[in-house]
Amino acid sequence: MRSFIRKLTLRQQKRLSLILAVVLAVLLLAIVLVWSRISERNSRLETTGYAMGSLMQQTVYGPNGQEASDAALQAVTELENLISWRVEDSDVARMNDEAGSEWITVDEKTSSLLALCLDVAEKSGGVFDPTVLPISKLWNFDEDVFTPPTQETIDEFLPYVNYEDLRVKEEEPSASLKYHYMGVDLGSAGKGAGCDEAVASYAASGVSAAIAAVGGSVGVYGTKPDGTLWSITVRNPYSAGDGEEILGVMEIAEGFVSTSGSYEKTREADGVTYHHLINADTGWPENNGLVSVTVYSKDSGALSDVLATAAFLLGLEDGQALLEAYGAEGIFITEGRAVIVTDGFPSFSLTLDSFELAG
Amino acid sequence: MERRLIRPADLVLVLAAAALAAGLLLRQNSQSPGSCVAVIEKNGAEVMRVDLGRITEPEEIDLGGAYRVVLLAEPGQISFLSSDCPDQTCVRSGRLTKAGQAAVCLPARVSVRLEGGSPGADAMTG
Repeated sequence: MRSFIRKLTLRQQKRLSLILAVVLAVLLLAIVLVWSRISERNSRLETTGYAMGSLMQQTVYGPNGQEASDAALQAVTELENLISWRVEDSDVARMNDEAGSEWITVDEKTSSLLALCLDVAEKSGGVFDPTVLPISKLWNFDEDVFTPPTQETIDEFLPYVNYEDLRVKEEEPSASLKYHYMGVDLGSAGKGAGCDEAVASYAASGVSAAIAAVGGSVGVYGTKPDGTLWSITVRNPYSAGDGEEILGVMEIAEGFVSTSGSYEKTREADGVTYHHLINADTGWPENNGLVSVTVYSKDSGALSDVLATAAFLLGLEDGQALLEAYGAEGIFITEGRAVIVTDGFPSFSLTLDSFELAG
Repeated sequence: MERRLIRPADLVLVLAAAALAAGLLLRQNSQSPGSCVAVIEKNGAEVMRVDLGRITEPEEIDLGGAYRVVLLAEPGQISFLSSDCPDQTCVRSGRLTKAGQAAVCLPARVSVRLEGGSPGADAMTG
């Protein structure tokens, strides 16, 4: 090698140096490009925002993560503007304003969500009811000083809660409430429905994989770059007292998960604690021994959310039967710290030993 | 000096470059194991990052605002200490200790989530 080089003239040596330098530069550039491509595919972005009255957390994998995350948040906000009774001029707000008079034209997302809620209302025998607004308004968990309604007040408003008086025409699409003073409250479906919107948005954005949590509802899309399943932890209903936030973890390849728990929203008055899961039949917070229900649905976030509420209100036995009727799976947690997992629930491990797997 | 293709100085340069590259790569891939960074956000925008691995004794973080939210940062964990919100869900969320965990005071729009360290789960339900 040395002798070869010595035979070259100085000019040729310089030229050789130059060529080698250029080759090295090109190689380095190629390495940098390939490396940045690979890391781009694996790049991971975590974002937080507010939508559907809750915290929306997202993790997005792949290029253009910020755009995909913004689009998903936007999609959930747009849905909220359709289905929230609190948003002026939303489909639901207009329906509630016209209760007892007009049919309202609604977006097909609204009509299909209403239809889903009506189906679950029927199958739950009315303990879950999307027309529960007159009663849920009596339970104001956000006021500074909380005062629970009296039995008299509840009896006064119960007659206006009746899912059979909510009519939906999916073909038009339009909906109407038959009587004045009735109102629709889709609070039990919003977060799950939001996850449906997020996942649809990810599919349109072209990200490789993403997960969205709207409040306690979670939806997943695609496969993570490392090929592992999505791991979703289940909150310990007694986390404040136990000092341990996680009770167990599930692994899913696809689908949606939602949880309804009495611990999520509580207020106290005169030494009594009231929670936000109101039985539409009785008008009172449901007290049947369950402290939380987590529902997994392969195809629908809205369904997972609605079923979580309905199953909680129905109790352990009837709740399991309801999930079975929809081909959904669930985890039921009792006040006695028993954890009942339905047979088809995706891989779930209990990690807190103060709870016991039963059933 | 006799003309050579590769001089000792060149070797030193190449080694230095390689060392720099390795150093950068290592730094990017690793993080002090087990330590989490608490990302505190107001209205979805980051306002503060607290490296919980660097906290040696409990420290109060007063975020002020309409709800006078106060966080408590301790070695390896963080929690909502107090807030003027009506339902106190944030305070009852307990301590955040692992990457991926989060707690929020919805009325105040203050959220705290843990990043880094050994990654926890992808999300939480409930």
